[in-house]
Amino acid sequence: MSNGPRTRKIDARVVRLPAAPTSLRSVDTQQEPADSPELWVGAHIHALKGEATLETLATRAQRFTPRVSLVPPDGLVLEVKGSLHLFNGTEGLIRAFRQDCDVVAVESAIALAPTPLAAMVAARVGKPFVVTNEAQLVGRLTSLPLTPLRWPDDVVQRLARMGVRTIGQALRLPRAGFARRFGPAHLSELDRLTGRNADLRHHFQPRERFRRRRELTYEMENDATILAALAPMLADLGKFLEARQCGITDLECRLWHRHAPPSLCVLRLAAPLADVARLTELLGERLNALVLPEPVRSCELRSGLPVLRVLSCDPLWQPGEYGGSAGPESPQLVERLRARLGHEAVYGLQMLPGHRPEQAWSMREPVLASSAGVGARGPGGTGARGPGGQDANASGGPGEHGAGGPSALNGAQPGPRSPKLVAPWGAFRRPLWLLPAPQQLEELEGAPLRRGSLRFFGDVERIETGWWDGGEIGRDYYTVFDIYGVQLWIFRERAEPHRWFLHGMFG
Amino acid sequence: MAFNSELARLLEHPAIWRGTSVARAEVLSSGFGALDERLPSGGWPRSGLIELLVSRFGVGELTLLLPILAALTSAPLARSCVWVAPPFEPFAPALAAHGVALERVLVVRVPAAHKRNRRGSLDGILWAFEQSLGSGACDLVMAWAKRPRSKEVRRLQLAAERGRTLGVLFRPLQAARESSHAVLRMAIEPSAYGVRVNLLKSKGGVRGSVEINLLAAGSGA
Repeated sequence: MSNGPRTRKIDARVVRLPAAPTSLRSVDTQQEPADSPELWVGAHIHALKGEATLETLATRAQRFTPRVSLVPPDGLVLEVKGSLHLFNGTEGLIRAFRQDCDVVAVESAIALAPTPLAAMVAARVGKPFVVTNEAQLVGRLTSLPLTPLRWPDDVVQRLARMGVRTIGQALRLPRAGFARRFGPAHLSELDRLTGRNADLRHHFQPRERFRRRRELTYEMENDATILAALAPMLADLGKFLEARQCGITDLECRLWHRHAPPSLCVLRLAAPLADVARLTELLGERLNALVLPEPVRSCELRSGLPVLRVLSCDPLWQPGEYGGSAGPESPQLVERLRARLGHEAVYGLQMLPGHRPEQAWSMREPVLASSAGVGARGPGGTGARGPGGQDANASGGPGEHGAGGPSALNGAQPGPRSPKLVAPWGAFRRPLWLLPAPQQLEELEGAPLRRGSLRFFGDVERIETGWWDGGEIGRDYYTVFDIYGVQLWIFRERAEPHRWFLHGMFG
Repeated sequence: MAFNSELARLLEHPAIWRGTSVARAEVLSSGFGALDERLPSGGWPRSGLIELLVSRFGVGELTLLLPILAALTSAPLARSCVWVAPPFEPFAPALAAHGVALERVLVVRVPAAHKRNRRGSLDGILWAFEQSLGSGACDLVMAWAKRPRSKEVRRLQLAAERGRTLGVLFRPLQAARESSHAVLRMAIEPSAYGVRVNLLKSKGGVRGSVEINLLAAGSGA
């Protein structure tokens, strides 16, 4: 009897359908109440196999939605309303989620409901439960038992003594009395179950850095076997980075011993790297150089913050061939050298403003091929510029690059002239080699000696500066030849006791 | 080696390749006319290992290389220029004044702590040298090594060809007695105004010595 008007309504829709499609919507909404604004998948996990954890499943579930929340110890809820259409509706989404559970080796029961708590509770019951609109929710929940709510035992038992065994019966109890007897917390839980109150949850945040530790089955001493033991973790790291399309610039490997403090093996990379094979190679170099105090019992990998990786395309030409530039080779070389020789062993050079020779230059982080801005100097090719470079010395710079020597003579200020600095000392010559620290020379009657007498040559240059920062110098620099024909750059102190020092070689 | 002009013209034909000549090899002008005339194909080879044997450190061997250092580092698409274990600090302002693009310069120090045997840091130096030569990331690699073995020099030469890199090995003059696989070997001695370069081995070139006036060319700025 109640079917009567309903059937008629559907008939009417069929008739009207081709004529007025705009009304289809209104009929639809009449026939089926509006879907809830949210739709939650609840997953109750029966069994975790192998190394799988709730976090692994949560990380994987993030492909459906960023709103994934953990319900420890064995639950997971995710809000999927926005992505339903991407998975071809609820059936498709459930199928995709089950596949993910299989991949991470997790057995779980799944339910869909407009509130997270309802989805979780229904999943714990384990029977098929898919409710997409709020109006049907309470009706479907009534038959479910109270136990999946996981209330304390005494509460459940007291309710059972009152004859209340299902959620429906609990919902029918007077609210004030329920709150007085069992506490407002349980009442508000019922409200969250039915969607009467908002259910705010913390979203699951996947780990930003990779960190994994592994206990070894036996103690290892050989770096090759340790590297083999690290291989699965490195493979995991590769997956971790691939999922984020990131690379890492820091990787720390800790090796734990029985007594000694853990050995540390730190890898610093010149450019973000995600290639497991190269990471393994570099780590192998590092382990090779590491001296272990004791055999290793367990090892741990910790990555630095992942850095967004810029994918490069391979050039047509090999480096050095027809002007092919060095693409990834340059950072790779720097990393390989640093992995073996240490981070500080490889550095670039830069000029600093100032007259004091010691402070006119400094080490710097190497400029890698991709970022160096030397290109676009006209169609010069890789061909030799020939004697042009030589003219730089005599006649004011080769023109095209601004750091020409004597061009700076015309009142140039010591200051940055992008991208290079201009030498502020004009026509005075500077040696190609600088000694790390001035080396005192022997003297014979006031004249300096080095492997014999020295022959003076050219002008004297006085450098007297630095009074403002405590590093004051006052020196007269001379260019001399020693008896072997080596050109030296020596200076005499202006102050007492007027000692002579060797400071550079012209090479 | 005296050909008449007719024959010389014929031999210029690009299809003719002679064992004694590497005329088709890519070269870079050394920046010194007198030296270019003596070097095979008229310049430093673009790839391969060359040995500079010096009587004393600092007689002018680096000045001899400054023009190609400047040319290589400032070329478009230039690769790195690596200095492996230089005896002192390369003085950046002087290099820049000679037109060397400093952002291409890479210095590699081999720590003394890396000693594995009585050869001290030599193994580390040779390893870094070979890695740099073979990586393809460098246009020029210079290394200061005391006494590498002949076998190791051969490895370095192969690495330089693989990476299309010019490798320069600085050695003491005493090493002239040993055989070497380098494509070019020259002894450098100081002379009145510059250096005397004595070509000891020159694949496809002529041997003999040549005086180079470094002062006239302006060895410093």
